Amino acid sequence: MWGMGLINGLRISWRNMRRGPITVKYPYEKLTLPERARWAVAPKYFADGSPKCTACMTCVRTCPDHILDIYVTTAEDKTKHIDSFFYEIGACMMCGLCVESCPFDAILMSHDYELAVTDPADLSYDLLTDVDAATGARHKAEKAAAEPAPDTSTAGEVSVGE
Amino acid sequence: MSAIGISALKVLAALGLMLANGVVMIYMLRKVLGHLHIRLGPMHVGWKGTLQTVMDVLKLLTKEDITPRAVDRWLFRIAPAVVFIPSLMAYAALPFSDTWRVTNLDTGLLYTFAVLSLVPMGILMAGWASNNKWSLLGGMRAAAQQIAYEVPLLLSVLPIVMLVGSMNLGVIVEAQRGTVLAVIPRWFIMNPLFWPTFLLYSVSALIETNQTPFDMSEAESEIVAGFATEYSAMKFGLLFLSEFSNQFIVAALTVTLFFGGWTLPWIPEAVSNSFGPVVFMLKTYLVIAVMMWIRGTFPRVRIDQLMQLGWQRLIPISLVWIVFSGIVIKVWS
Repeated sequence: MWGMGLINGLRISWRNMRRGPITVKYPYEKLTLPERARWAVAPKYFADGSPKCTACMTCVRTCPDHILDIYVTTAEDKTKHIDSFFYEIGACMMCGLCVESCPFDAILMSHDYELAVTDPADLSYDLLTDVDAATGARHKAEKAAAEPAPDTSTAGEVSVGE
Repeated sequence: MSAIGISALKVLAALGLMLANGVVMIYMLRKVLGHLHIRLGPMHVGWKGTLQTVMDVLKLLTKEDITPRAVDRWLFRIAPAVVFIPSLMAYAALPFSDTWRVTNLDTGLLYTFAVLSLVPMGILMAGWASNNKWSLLGGMRAAAQQIAYEVPLLLSVLPIVMLVGSMNLGVIVEAQRGTVLAVIPRWFIMNPLFWPTFLLYSVSALIETNQTPFDMSEAESEIVAGFATEYSAMKFGLLFLSEFSNQFIVAALTVTLFFGGWTLPWIPEAVSNSFGPVVFMLKTYLVIAVMMWIRGTFPRVRIDQLMQLGWQRLIPISLVWIVFSGIVIKVWS
């Protein structure tokens, strides 16, 4: 019958009205992100607070956007010192290839998604500054210590920040 | 108090009601549309956003009033007043209750429609004076649409006038007092003879008051803001206040003509008369809510479809219906 579509439209919008809002009041309420959500890259740390990064440069070579860079000073005994682990988040496409390629599980895609800044200079920053890089031996020791218990660290864990 | 003083107070009361209506209806519109679209509407200013429109009024009052260089200054300044004043005048004949009304006009219905028909002139002035293509389009549409739809609007309510035998809105309400068989209210909407009348009236009224889906003269998605494009600050505020006020007036007329005005069925007259204005306002806001429901549901029609509907359908149908209901009323009485 002519006009039934109009009635049906009214019925549908009435039903919507009774469904109640589905809005999340964002700054006050936040959705929990899926475990594998990929946002800003962040470094991971050992329990004692020293970074897991060994400055092996794998992530730097992997990054398709060339936005990661590690400036390293190598001491005479071949230990490395990270002057800065540079990260230009303004150009990052959050592909996560750096995290996948990291042989030491030293970085992660954090769940920090509030990335707006007021100063363009803040779109690039150092993940690590002026710290000693971890050694392969340290990783081996930590792994051995953690061996009996299953590895609980996952990419979904939120980092401590820069 | 002198007659002039009383009249001035009445005008001020009408103005106050108009402004209050504007504030309440804009908040209501945002909330109703929000919930129809599964959103929340305003939430931050005041409890559940109740103060949002008050803040908006303050904003409009304090904003810079821009007059573009190329506008026709005189017309540009007068147009908001020409739109606003008829809307205010239209409150004069509305019967809020037995005693609560500005004037008791014998031609109340005709007066209200006549005054409302001045609004498109102001809109056309605003559109022309703005010296802007979108504004002019909006103004021309207002002229085409609203003037065209005054014909079916007035024709559609003639059966009621014929039955009641008066254009006095108070008399029309009194004719709807009481119940049929002690159950059904004697409202005209309950009378099958007036169902087509109601349909014709509600469509024409929506178009006449520029309500979405018939808001051709604003049509944000087509012509920016139509006639209001170049207006800012309180001039814009006046244009929109009058639009909401017209919506209120048409809703109030709907209540008066079809839903028994300030009367309530089943309740003794002496009791219901004491809170007549409250009943009237509640009914009116219910009608407004339905108008907003329609607004939140349907997409805008095209201007040519609209004109076709008016000239080719509504006017002939209302003419035929006047003849038919005239015969029925004559035979039954």
